[in-house]
Amino acid sequence: MEAASATVVPSRRRSEAVREFVSKYGLIAILLVLPVVYGAQDLSDDGNLTRLGNNLVEGLSNGAILALIALGYTLVYGIIELINFAHGEVFMLGSLAAAGLYGTFGLTPQTGTAGLIAGLACILVLAMLTSGTLNVMIERVAYRPLRNAPKLAPLITAVGMSFILQNVGILWIGASQKAVPDLIGSQEQLFEIVGLSISRGTVLAIAVTIPLVFLLTSFVARSRLGKAMRATAQDPEAARLMGINVDTTISLTFLLGGLMAGAAGLITALYQTSIWFFQGFSAGLYAFTAAVMGGIGNIRGAVLGGFIIGIVQGISDNRIGNDWTPAIVFIYLVIIMVFRPQGLIGEETREAG
Amino acid sequence: MSDGSGNGAADALLATEHVTKAFGGLVAVEDVSFYVKPRSIVSIIGPNGAGKTTFFNMLTGLYKPTVGRIVFAGADVTGTRPDIITSLGVARTFQNIRLISSMSATENVMVGQHARMKAGLFGSILRPPAVRREERAVREKARDMLHYVGLQQTQFDRLASNLSYGDQRRVEIARALASDPVLLLLDEPTAGMNPQESARLTQFMEQLRGERSLTILLIEHDMRVVMGVSERITVLDHGTKIAEGQPEDIRANDRVIEAYLGKREGGQAS
Amino acid sequence: MSRVAKLRHDRRAGVVLAVAFVVAAALMPLFRPPLDGFTNDAILALAYVVMALGLNLVVGFAGLLDLGYVAFYAIGASVTGWWASDFYSSVNGEKGIHIGTSDFVSVLPGIHVNFLLLIVGAIILCAIAGALIGLPTLRLRGDYIAIVTLAFGEIIGRVFANGDELTVFGDNALSNGRQSISPIDQINLPVFGEFDSATDLRPYYWAVLALCLVVLFVNFRLRDSRLGRAWIALREDEVAAASMGVPLVKTKLLSYAAGGAFGGISGVFIGIFLTSVNANAFQFGFSIFILAMVILGGLGSIWGVVLGALALGFVNHWFIPDVLDGETVRGWLDSLGLEFTFSEVTFGVFGFILVLMMVLRPEGLLPERRHQLELAEAAGAPEEPVSVTYEARA
Repeated sequence: MEAASATVVPSRRRSEAVREFVSKYGLIAILLVLPVVYGAQDLSDDGNLTRLGNNLVEGLSNGAILALIALGYTLVYGIIELINFAHGEVFMLGSLAAAGLYGTFGLTPQTGTAGLIAGLACILVLAMLTSGTLNVMIERVAYRPLRNAPKLAPLITAVGMSFILQNVGILWIGASQKAVPDLIGSQEQLFEIVGLSISRGTVLAIAVTIPLVFLLTSFVARSRLGKAMRATAQDPEAARLMGINVDTTISLTFLLGGLMAGAAGLITALYQTSIWFFQGFSAGLYAFTAAVMGGIGNIRGAVLGGFIIGIVQGISDNRIGNDWTPAIVFIYLVIIMVFRPQGLIGEETREAG
Repeated sequence: MSDGSGNGAADALLATEHVTKAFGGLVAVEDVSFYVKPRSIVSIIGPNGAGKTTFFNMLTGLYKPTVGRIVFAGADVTGTRPDIITSLGVARTFQNIRLISSMSATENVMVGQHARMKAGLFGSILRPPAVRREERAVREKARDMLHYVGLQQTQFDRLASNLSYGDQRRVEIARALASDPVLLLLDEPTAGMNPQESARLTQFMEQLRGERSLTILLIEHDMRVVMGVSERITVLDHGTKIAEGQPEDIRANDRVIEAYLGKREGGQAS
Repeated sequence: MSRVAKLRHDRRAGVVLAVAFVVAAALMPLFRPPLDGFTNDAILALAYVVMALGLNLVVGFAGLLDLGYVAFYAIGASVTGWWASDFYSSVNGEKGIHIGTSDFVSVLPGIHVNFLLLIVGAIILCAIAGALIGLPTLRLRGDYIAIVTLAFGEIIGRVFANGDELTVFGDNALSNGRQSISPIDQINLPVFGEFDSATDLRPYYWAVLALCLVVLFVNFRLRDSRLGRAWIALREDEVAAASMGVPLVKTKLLSYAAGGAFGGISGVFIGIFLTSVNANAFQFGFSIFILAMVILGGLGSIWGVVLGALALGFVNHWFIPDVLDGETVRGWLDSLGLEFTFSEVTFGVFGFILVLMMVLRPEGLLPERRHQLELAEAAGAPEEPVSVTYEARA
């Protein structure tokens, strides 16, 4: 459809801009409620913000994990407008695989640093490949046959896959949480900043996440395959007409998302020192919230959202009780979906919202 | 004898005043003032992308105008919900047929009467005599409508998706008529029809106007139909009104010819 | 025979079949002992039928993917915890409040209200809850509706799970947290007196069967009504529906409210039948359990959903624990050295059913007459022209 003259319609543009402004800063304000309230409480109780600071540090570690998982959701949604419900389980199985490989590589809490680094690097690659491959297989089996079906169908299949994979987890390690060896001494303090204790686990999480995110972003922005992904995300028909193999591109997207989830899986195993068949369900939903919060389809948004939700989780776990955290995060999810579905920095997806 | 320009005439059934629709930076319809007198047949034409369907969508409440007013039967209906506009007496068909494919032809036409029915949640469950009567009447009327538009009886209970293209178009019109409209909006009703079928539809429109006192507003590409049936033609191009008047005038209008055929060399359209 | 006559002929055959089925179901307990495992499983399966028919209104008729249906089970069951137990034992100076209760119950502390009133209460609360849950989803697309309803299901589940920390109307806790509220009063009906599930399950069976029949009746009435048609139009094409005069907001909210109400009715019954209410049961998995029933039976197909609910109810309560984890099969598995139990993978089985159905037969086992062609066509299965179906059936 050809554009008519781009006459500015002043009054309407202004009111749309106002609405955009209000919803964006309104959301930011709502997000700031928790830290501000508890920060104030800390100042009056303790006279400093140390407790809040520690919450934030905890939140950053959670956030790194969530950011990696959120990337998977956002990449897939960006390209085929589908919520990959099973993605949380892809993360969980990556975690289980990683923990399972400790023994294979002979890693124990006593292993020396060099050995640890070498071993963990290998496990990282293997965990990423496990989750990546799994994600690709899920797309092939559960989503591709239904590409032309009404949107309900692949969503239901995704939910079904999620449950199947949860049960794979149960068959693998049983139904209860299982402790795994604390290879890196994750809770031990590595150093201190402004009175805040930064643990090894936190450093690890950030140290693994940042480079991975950077690699992913560069790949998507600069490589040929990355361009293919972006083209397909914008307009699959046009992409096809230009010679892009849409099927392969979609598989690649699932692979990348899975790789990130696998990395998150290893980090979680090292950081939490426990694995559980159910960890993918909550992490998955939190990560999805993060992806939407940032702007679904937007890579930077997923990372930003991940850290935000991680911090919310950190504060809530410590102050309100981790029994309540899911409710809190989901309330945020509902608020975002209703008042600002495009998230903080998102663009409109293909179908005008 | 009017040439159709200017703001809504006092006795217009439907009038738009400086209506504009912008989607972000894209202006699809710009400053269109338009009116339709009761019991007339009026066409809107223009090249593809001119904004005709967007304009229709504003008239039926699917889009809210960015600027401007829409007045129907004396009431301001700008931005009113589509179902309310239907209950006020405006019905439409779609460019791409939008029947409920998993319902039969009869059921489709019954849904078209939703706004004229009263049964609510509890009425539907308990089915007191009044509701029973209403259901029977609605089903009768549906069948009558289908008959009226020329559908074969054997097709009445077939799933809409199994009907032929022509029959589906008929059902869509029947569905629109079922809501007892005063104003009927037809979006490219002859798309995909051969000349005989188009001629039949043209006759049918006259019939509707005469027998049912309907006012008809038409988006059309088939010039034979447009010239044959319209009392007045409005031409849109790139979202604005570039001409309006009687068929003979429009046929000879340079700007209109240019819009469809493009500028000739030397800037002269012959 | 004309096509119309064939249709009616089919319908008559269908009615005869349905009546025979119902009569058989009603007579079944007479051939079983008063306390019987099969009857027990059948009672739960029938309760799920009510639940699934409710979800069918939302997902099947109106096409709104509600993944948080457990919320209505939670509210319905909690209603029994609040008003048919001694949970609020301090009420009325420890003498309790009693409305329509049996002699035995009338002297117990706590709030005790008659079964029929509990049903009414649950209907009202769940209808309101349904509308409130539906409200934020009105402008959202399908997959976002799924997530928001899922979120609500989790939020409500969590609120009940932590309800011992929350107080309402003064000092009273909202729920008993992760502990059970028990015992719940038995059903007490005007003519039939008070039931006793410890000695005879059969009255419970007939009560839930009666509930099923009422709910079935309501469903059929709704399906073939102005509202039912509006829901289906809404499901298929919102824009066309609105242009036909269907008010979208009101129609969607009615679907959530009505669907929720059924969930509440079933929740009340289940709470009473199990004589205990525990917030640990209010999990996402339950929403999927019910969804699987609807998908298995056929979205929008009333008898399909009945079949799906009965099938999965029996799979969950009998086939998996008693057959697959029973002695014979256990014996085989042990001899093969396999250690898992099928009960552990119950939800995997339901997930598998969902995937299988969506890929192979998305229209369900007993497809909605209308829906038959739509999904099958889209997923690439060969189209079944309507005329062939009728001829083949005759």
